[in-house]
Amino acid sequence: MNTRVSITNPYNGPLEGDNAFAQITHNVSRIMEAPRPPLAWYIAFAFALGLLGVFGLSLGIVVWEGIGAWGHVHPVAWGFPIVNFVFWVGIGHAGTLISAILFLLRQNWRTAINRFAEAMTIFAVVCAAVFPGVHIGRPWLPYWMFPIPNQMGMWPQFRSPLEWDVFAVGTYATVSVLFWYMGMIPDFATFRDRSTSTVRRFVYGLVAMGWRGSSRQWHRYERAYLLLASLATPLVLSVHSVVSFDFATSQLPGWHTTIFPPYFVAGAIFGGFAMVVVLAVPAREFFGLKKIITLKHLELMAKVILATGMIVGYAYAMEMFVAWYSGSIYEQFAFLNRAFGNYAWSYWTMIFCNVLAPQVFWFKKLRTNVWVILIVGIIVNVGMWFERFVIICTSLTRDFLPANWGAFIPSAVDYATLAGSFGLFFTLFLLFCRYLPMVAMAEVKAFIPESHVHDH
Amino acid sequence: MADQHHSKSDSHGGHDAAPKLTDSIRLSGADLSLSKTAFAVGVVGIGGAIALGGGLFGKQFQHSYLTAFMWALSITLGALFWVTLQHLVNARWSIVVRRLGEFLAQGVVLLALLAIPLLIPVLQHNDTLFRWLNHDTIHGISSKTAYLNPSFFLGRMVFYFAYFALMATFWLKKSREQEKGGGEELTRSLQGKAAPAMIVFALSVTFCAIDFLMTLDPMWFSTIFGVYYFSTCVLTFHSVLALFAMWLQKKGHLTSAITTEHYHDIGKMMFAFTAFWTYIGFSQFMLIWYANIPEETAWFRDRLEGNWLSATLVLAAAHFVIPFFGMMSREIKRNKTTLGFWAVWILVICWFDMYWLVAPNLHKGGMAIGLVDILAWVGVAGLLLGFVLSKAKDTNLIPTGDPRLGRSLTFQNI
Amino acid sequence: MSDSEKPLATETPLYGLIAEYDNPTALVHAARKVRDAGFRRWDTYTPFPIHGIEKDMGIRMTRLPWLVLGFALTGMAVATYFQYWTNSVDYRWIISGKPFWSWPANVPIIFEMTILFSAFAAIGGMLFLNNLPLPAHPLDLKERFRRVTDDKFFLVIEASDPKFDERDTRGLLAATNPVVLDDVLEDRVTSDRIPAPLIYTLVILGAVSLIPFAFIAKARAAKTTEGRVHVVWDMDFTPAYKAQEGNPLFGDQRSMRTPPEGTVALGQLHDDEHLYTGKVGDEWASSFPESLALSEATMERGKQQFGIYCTPCHGQLGDGNGIVHQRASKLKQGWVPPSDLHQTYIKEQPAGQIFGAITNGVRNMPAYGPQISAEDRWAIVLYLRALQKSQSASVNDLTDAERAQLQ
Repeated sequence: MNTRVSITNPYNGPLEGDNAFAQITHNVSRIMEAPRPPLAWYIAFAFALGLLGVFGLSLGIVVWEGIGAWGHVHPVAWGFPIVNFVFWVGIGHAGTLISAILFLLRQNWRTAINRFAEAMTIFAVVCAAVFPGVHIGRPWLPYWMFPIPNQMGMWPQFRSPLEWDVFAVGTYATVSVLFWYMGMIPDFATFRDRSTSTVRRFVYGLVAMGWRGSSRQWHRYERAYLLLASLATPLVLSVHSVVSFDFATSQLPGWHTTIFPPYFVAGAIFGGFAMVVVLAVPAREFFGLKKIITLKHLELMAKVILATGMIVGYAYAMEMFVAWYSGSIYEQFAFLNRAFGNYAWSYWTMIFCNVLAPQVFWFKKLRTNVWVILIVGIIVNVGMWFERFVIICTSLTRDFLPANWGAFIPSAVDYATLAGSFGLFFTLFLLFCRYLPMVAMAEVKAFIPESHVHDH
Repeated sequence: MADQHHSKSDSHGGHDAAPKLTDSIRLSGADLSLSKTAFAVGVVGIGGAIALGGGLFGKQFQHSYLTAFMWALSITLGALFWVTLQHLVNARWSIVVRRLGEFLAQGVVLLALLAIPLLIPVLQHNDTLFRWLNHDTIHGISSKTAYLNPSFFLGRMVFYFAYFALMATFWLKKSREQEKGGGEELTRSLQGKAAPAMIVFALSVTFCAIDFLMTLDPMWFSTIFGVYYFSTCVLTFHSVLALFAMWLQKKGHLTSAITTEHYHDIGKMMFAFTAFWTYIGFSQFMLIWYANIPEETAWFRDRLEGNWLSATLVLAAAHFVIPFFGMMSREIKRNKTTLGFWAVWILVICWFDMYWLVAPNLHKGGMAIGLVDILAWVGVAGLLLGFVLSKAKDTNLIPTGDPRLGRSLTFQNI
Repeated sequence: MSDSEKPLATETPLYGLIAEYDNPTALVHAARKVRDAGFRRWDTYTPFPIHGIEKDMGIRMTRLPWLVLGFALTGMAVATYFQYWTNSVDYRWIISGKPFWSWPANVPIIFEMTILFSAFAAIGGMLFLNNLPLPAHPLDLKERFRRVTDDKFFLVIEASDPKFDERDTRGLLAATNPVVLDDVLEDRVTSDRIPAPLIYTLVILGAVSLIPFAFIAKARAAKTTEGRVHVVWDMDFTPAYKAQEGNPLFGDQRSMRTPPEGTVALGQLHDDEHLYTGKVGDEWASSFPESLALSEATMERGKQQFGIYCTPCHGQLGDGNGIVHQRASKLKQGWVPPSDLHQTYIKEQPAGQIFGAITNGVRNMPAYGPQISAEDRWAIVLYLRALQKSQSASVNDLTDAERAQLQ
């Protein structure tokens, strides 16, 4: 291996190995084995660390000053933090979706992207969990949300949707980590067996738990994987449904509508896939994974984005129609206010980003162009953030009584926390790219033509 | 068609060796006699229901008939959705049964005709079924007249059924064109057409369900309602598909083409959508129960009072708990007898679901399933069966021209 | 090939035989032969799961799904009972008018717990049934075996299998055309002892992790006069004085101050006696105050205010049949019915007296003075006058034009 300081990308070399299996192993393992990552990784990492610092600083201010440091005012008690929470939880859905639902639907192309989509899920859930944790006002008392009685022998309120959230997000984070880890065990074993240094061999050996690829073990492993996929599929649906219950169980116009659960889930898949392409496009570029994450994969993801974008559009339309059809003046006002009120700009931003922008994917030329995919991916993420902003802020600022109307103006700390959360996300993601198997090697191998058994 | 049995390749990939299909793929005259029987049963059933249900425009008959109609419609709309979806996602496993879906989708043409008895009262401003036709009895309806007025309502109906019929005809026609050649290219162009077709279809199904079922209680509204009916469509369709395939195989057709693997997949869809229906149904119930807003809870109140409460509990148990645990095991979905049992079960409980949606409009105080309900159901089901079978006459039971047929024949579950 | 085998090798017993193949097809064919020969203690090792190899090796379906189902039902039962017991038995607590046992509100958590338990069972069960983690294995000593996680396929028959016969088994494997066929010896190289640094680390970590519990135990057992720790001081102690707190700055030591004699709050002078009390001298005023404009707008205002404050009891018509009255009479719990405002004695009351009744209350009716502004109270009186007239109007009250229209 070349040990001198190099500014060229160490992952652009030719593939080694005399067969297709070895090439896959090499293609993925060299990312971890290279003495140093490409320059782009360092630049990105420095940037991410800087943003992470901003995150720490702004959260420090919030913890020290109290949540008044954010732009919360009556009646908008759920400002940016809850918008950000729902946004990040939504991003965290594509990973498990790709791993679980596409697995059950036998979409084998998922093997190229499932590992880092799962990683993305976990990091997004970490980012999401920070917000309600701090938003409770006294972040040193989060255990009040846990099912333990307080000093008066009083239990948490299990009939509250906010308490459901604790269980839903907690379960989701746990199961995602387990799913992710279990998927990596065979790949850790590969890293262990290729390691030249004792430390690496020990560390990867520890996490590989003595995996040796026995077929009897593979049999149970695959069964467990299938079971986890079958469990994770309804789990993904439930988590964002529960998040939607936070709003939909209330009576607030614009929040209380029965389509919220499936609509939130579709939106989460939509935003999550958009984030996957935003991460996949540079990752395949910088880490030499173009042969594994091919243009075909990106095109398929573009199609999923288009399809889920249409579902989200359907939900917007149904909300509008039923608000009018209901005959309830409050519902009617809430939706007119969304489209033409003080925050109309955010509503139309959302419509543009989530409904109109993905329409470019109808054209094969555009959905096979990495730049178009990347840009639309970013636009969709912006749009999904605005979707939550529209739901939370326009409804809260205009509820039943005009006496209770107000305006929400985010503070500088609001913006800093939002930007900072991306720092946390990218820091974790870049570390993952460098040290963990970014592609599920064993799974990719199982679906290449060479893996088929021929009978004569 | 040659009679010898083909030997199926044992390959796991399935794409290297395309096996030859040697099954019988045409219905015989004897099979088609069922069509006539079914028509006869249908006519007798509907006739009996009209006679006992207070005439064609009688309150009881109209409600029973709407229940049966929506149940039958769900099968054909499920078939339309499924066929479109198979084209859209370029599915391979399903090719051997796709033609059956295309036949079932033809039923929508018959249902367009069967809708007429429900629409004539609308034309006459007769509020037997749709209470919104009488503005005097419902407070607050005037704000909805832009949507709920006879001419717009009938206009929508014409659009829905014209569109559904067009789609059903189009898919079968193109599928038969595949047999005349043009394979790859035609198949690809169908994939392109499936996407816009699906969008219009999604909106049509939603508003069709809203118009026929949600407006029965004109003051009630629920944004998820279209999705609720859609879940029923998928459930009833897959159940009928499984039973249709079993019947054909019993009659000696497609004996080797449709394998346990295909049944397993159909069973998985039935299982998954049992859970999906529960998810949608529970979300709708829980959100309305929790927020407790009078104009919304009134609808559930109708379904939770008197013996309707037992009906609702039966629905929850028989539409979710029992089939969910019953169909959980892989072996049950891979066994024709057990899968057939659950298919019948789902068809019955989905009819009950439709009844649960429609009948509280008529029997506010308590549920009363009567002979008229059963006769109307048997009648509509008979007509649909007869019609679908007659459409299968002189047509291959399998799309032999589809380039993906080989993959479907050798398809294996993990 | 035998680079990691030490000189002891000759004394080390045989663990088994290993055959290496370079593609899955060769491995599967070999596996079928070994299966047909009736071996039990043998296995194949591959870089990825080979679909269908279970049949070729005669592996029976694992019991894992049953384990998961069992855990799922346990999770479901635990979550159901726990929510029931905590919220409707152990510490009952009414929230948003919901019953203590509100099952629809408990479904989400029941569902999540079902999934959580099942997921633990799926992974834990997989590891347990697979006998993982397994730190050392005789195969680890084979340098070539490392490629099992890369691109090579292996088949191992253990010497402990009853059918194992060194010569015959070797022959059987040789007939499957392996790339390499070799002995595997028992592991006599790796120590069975846990490495000392690992033990020390675990002991130290274990001890450290007990420290917080020790503090908690001490806190529970000991008494203190210091009170709890105040993490954020100004959230627990506001610098402002609280209502009933003492204040050393003042002679009477109270922090609540009465305003000096004769203080009038801004906008509360209320010097217009007629407007604010409804009286002129000691008598109820029979006219409306001069500052009140007797206009259409005032009438509308009065109608609106009457609609908000009066109709719940007195009804839209003022006949005392509002919805509160209807409900209360149904409950039959000693309800004093609200007055019919069209009774003659009320009609005959001077405007000021009605104003006074609204301001100060009558019998069960509470005082609305603090809630409704004086102008609005007068507006209500004005509207009430119109209402009273409307309920006993005669043809004579109409203008000629209106009378003509009526005819």
